[in-house]
Amino acid sequence: MRRLGLLALAVLVLAWPLLAPRYFVFLASLVLVNAIVAIGLNLLSGYTHQLSFGHAGFLAVGAYTAAILGGHAAVPAPLALLGAGLVTGAVGVALGIPCLRLEGLYLTMATLAFGFVVTEAILNLEGLTRGADGLPVPGARLGPWRLSTDTARYYLTAAVAAALTAAAVNLTRMRVGRALLAIRESEIAAEASGVPVAAWKTVAFALSAFYTGVAGGLFAYLVGHLSPDAFDVFLSVDFVVMIILGGLGSVPGSIVGAAVVTVLHDSLAAVQQYRPLIFGLILIACMLFMPGGIAGVLRRNPWRGGSPAQSS
Amino acid sequence: MTAATIAHVVVSGLATGSVYALMALALVIIYNATRTLNFAQGEMLMVSAFLAWTAHGAGAPLPAAIGLSLIGSAALAFLIERFIIRRSLAATHWDVLIITLGLSLVLRALAGILWTHDEFPFPALFGTRPLALGPLRVAPLSLGIIGASLALMLGLYVLFVRTRLGRAMRAVAQNQRAARLMGISVERVFTASWVLAAVVGALAGVLIAPVVFLSTKMGLIVINGFTAAVLGGFGSMPGAVAGGMLLGVIENVAPLYLPSGIRYAVPFLLLIAILVVRPAGLLGRPRLRKV
Amino acid sequence: MERWIARAVVLTLALLAALPAAAADPGVTETEIVLGCSNSFSGPLAFTGEQATRYGVDLYFKAVNDAGGIHGRRVRTVYYDDGYKPQEALANTRKLVEQDRIFAVIAPQGTPPVVATLEYLEENKVPLLFPFQGSPITRGRKYVFSGMTLYDRQSRIMIDYLVGQRKYKTFAALYQDDEYGKSFLASFEKDLARHRLRLVAAEPVKRGATDVSAQVAKLQTARPEVTFLVLTPGPGAQALKERQKIGWTDTLMISSGPLTDERYLALAGDAAEGVEGLSLWPDPLTSDLPGVRQYREHMKKYFPRNEPNRYSLSGYFAALLFTEGARRAGRNLTREGLIAALESVKGWESGILPPLTIGPDHETQKHGFWVRVEKGRFRPLTDWLSSE
Repeated sequence: MRRLGLLALAVLVLAWPLLAPRYFVFLASLVLVNAIVAIGLNLLSGYTHQLSFGHAGFLAVGAYTAAILGGHAAVPAPLALLGAGLVTGAVGVALGIPCLRLEGLYLTMATLAFGFVVTEAILNLEGLTRGADGLPVPGARLGPWRLSTDTARYYLTAAVAAALTAAAVNLTRMRVGRALLAIRESEIAAEASGVPVAAWKTVAFALSAFYTGVAGGLFAYLVGHLSPDAFDVFLSVDFVVMIILGGLGSVPGSIVGAAVVTVLHDSLAAVQQYRPLIFGLILIACMLFMPGGIAGVLRRNPWRGGSPAQSS
Repeated sequence: MTAATIAHVVVSGLATGSVYALMALALVIIYNATRTLNFAQGEMLMVSAFLAWTAHGAGAPLPAAIGLSLIGSAALAFLIERFIIRRSLAATHWDVLIITLGLSLVLRALAGILWTHDEFPFPALFGTRPLALGPLRVAPLSLGIIGASLALMLGLYVLFVRTRLGRAMRAVAQNQRAARLMGISVERVFTASWVLAAVVGALAGVLIAPVVFLSTKMGLIVINGFTAAVLGGFGSMPGAVAGGMLLGVIENVAPLYLPSGIRYAVPFLLLIAILVVRPAGLLGRPRLRKV
Repeated sequence: MERWIARAVVLTLALLAALPAAAADPGVTETEIVLGCSNSFSGPLAFTGEQATRYGVDLYFKAVNDAGGIHGRRVRTVYYDDGYKPQEALANTRKLVEQDRIFAVIAPQGTPPVVATLEYLEENKVPLLFPFQGSPITRGRKYVFSGMTLYDRQSRIMIDYLVGQRKYKTFAALYQDDEYGKSFLASFEKDLARHRLRLVAAEPVKRGATDVSAQVAKLQTARPEVTFLVLTPGPGAQALKERQKIGWTDTLMISSGPLTDERYLALAGDAAEGVEGLSLWPDPLTSDLPGVRQYREHMKKYFPRNEPNRYSLSGYFAALLFTEGARRAGRNLTREGLIAALESVKGWESGILPPLTIGPDHETQKHGFWVRVEKGRFRPLTDWLSSE
């Protein structure tokens, strides 16, 4: 049954550009990009219970890296995306290591500040980023082809998203996932039972940043124009809404959350003043009435998106 | 850079700094009682300022309008604490952070719908034409903000040291279980902290609105408040005051000597630096982790 | 049975495929013309955006629609908010073109957001009409018709007047750190160099910033006679208040064309007295020009509670000019036809601005006049100044 469902989903994803008008192909690509970010954020928040308000910053690092690699150095898309992921992952480690000593609120606030520092850095590194005017992104190149249509960019995004989703599902089933879950339940207990907490938290930070960086690269190709003020704290909050709504620690939940938030965001464009109202109400309602998010409602399994455990 | 310029810049730094200090105090009051962070504190400040402005626009004299806004802010905080925060299942810092994040979005959106996202001039309690003090020129606005903030801080000090409520709040901050055993209603202290923080925040809002203009963006001041609180050692009230003043001055003086663009990154760089180097803050003591 | 369904499906698909081909261009039907733009409904230019679109463009189109429309077609508008962020502006514009299928973009706002959409619109051959910005980048593009007097022309008018007639020698600038501020800055340098002068100081302000005290303190130390403000209303008013706070009286502050408006004046309060600036629009409240009088009448009729201002007047003018172009293009309205029709505008009297001629550079406005703030209002000091 599950296989059948996955197969149907795969067929739908592959056939989507044939079924939908051009704008919806673009929108679907955006859903996939956001799903990658949500999975990445969930690797950090859902498994180690560290909330990040700075993932828009990671997304920006990835996006600008890909755009600069593709522009100045004419690097083909897969390499540019890998570069975006690695650079962002390295930034994640650089932020993660000093933040290891911090817990809870402090870490959240450090990530918040990080997000602001990234936009300020982009504004001030005008030679590379063109500052506040924004950076046009050169079209993605794949060998001899230019991925200049929405459909081509969609398939690139879908392929990367599929690979990263599969990797995340496997990851959470392996030792990494179990170690991270143990940290989420109680850092001190995990440490006492021989889990190297600091190392795993760094890994979580690095992975989360890597995912978000790759997504940033794809995002750059999709929107075609980057400007620092679009990667503001409100975008980071959107990502938090995705995982809270979808379900902490759940990969399918991340994807559903990303899809719901992205589509809502788009369909509320004409009544934009109600957008934060609705997202805010979603956050409050989730915390009060369904702490496991959508995944928790669909599957009442205490290990996957049950109510977030007490943290230290 | 002349000495007069530097003196002026330091004084306006102290003025914004004292508002950051009030914001930090509001955060710390709730944190000490409940061990949670109210991320919506900045948005509550913004709503208070809009309430005062609306009342003033409807014909109330400014002091009366501010009084009405204080009552409104206290009522809002009471309702939020009673009907939303207390209903969350576990009320861990994680839950409350996300709920108040949601609240901040809701308040900002509602304010935008009610009052639009424009900027508005806010009537100042103090004038802006400079007074000459010897060679120095100082705006009464800056001095007024500093004076009013210091008076409010003194009031808070008296409240915490001399009154029953203040003592109960300090007892809860020190040890919730012991306070409960001593017969203190911890729930009532929670509510009182929210209301008190909202009132402090509202006054901060009314003081800063003439300087930055009234707009829905004002809520972002919560980040400066948090930075100030961390700078002084999160949880310490004297630390919050010192941290706020320090942040205000650094923010204003740094761009005189560095490229002006640095101005807007100062609070964030400072926050990261202090968290990395000395998370306990300048005046705070490192706290042991609870098992 | 199945064959019947299959036939129905094929027929529907064929109809769907044929539909866009039947209509001449997107956004024009038998009964309707759809226009739209991405604009600021939040962020630092929210007031401007709201006024220019919903109370400006829509104001004129309400009057047009009530009078029978353009060749029998009613005009409908769609707006999305970008909060003055270039990236959001591009995403919104894609949505407008691909999903809402607008005929043309009308009156979007802000230099960085508008510049971000240029390439996309040119590629998709969608006209970009009369944006509320003046970067010279928009000059001479086939699908773009500029709105306000372009910044290099504004700079030339300002510098020639200040150096030539007012004999000022030292200049400084407080500018927004993006394409808006920087294109002004580059033009100032060029025009001052013509008079063998240069800027003695220039300080950047971040887009959307609320504090400019350090920049003002630094500018004061350079002691310029004239300080240009190339900002949005919030920071512009902050600069005036900050100057008042430090008692800096021996400089003349001058607002750029887009800044010379009522919003900036209202925010600055009494700190604005004596400030001068270049105005691109006649006074919406007091001007006797027939077009401005009609604008006030329309405003009273359709939005009686909305005060007239330069932003809604600019949006109103954009809609007026579009209507002129679309009427000239005839009943068979196409994008190419509209462009040809607009290019045929020669010496046209709008009743709001000096006679308008659109050349191959696609510039619609080339004028401005000098104003000074007296008792909280802009008082004109000169007649229209030309940049030719």
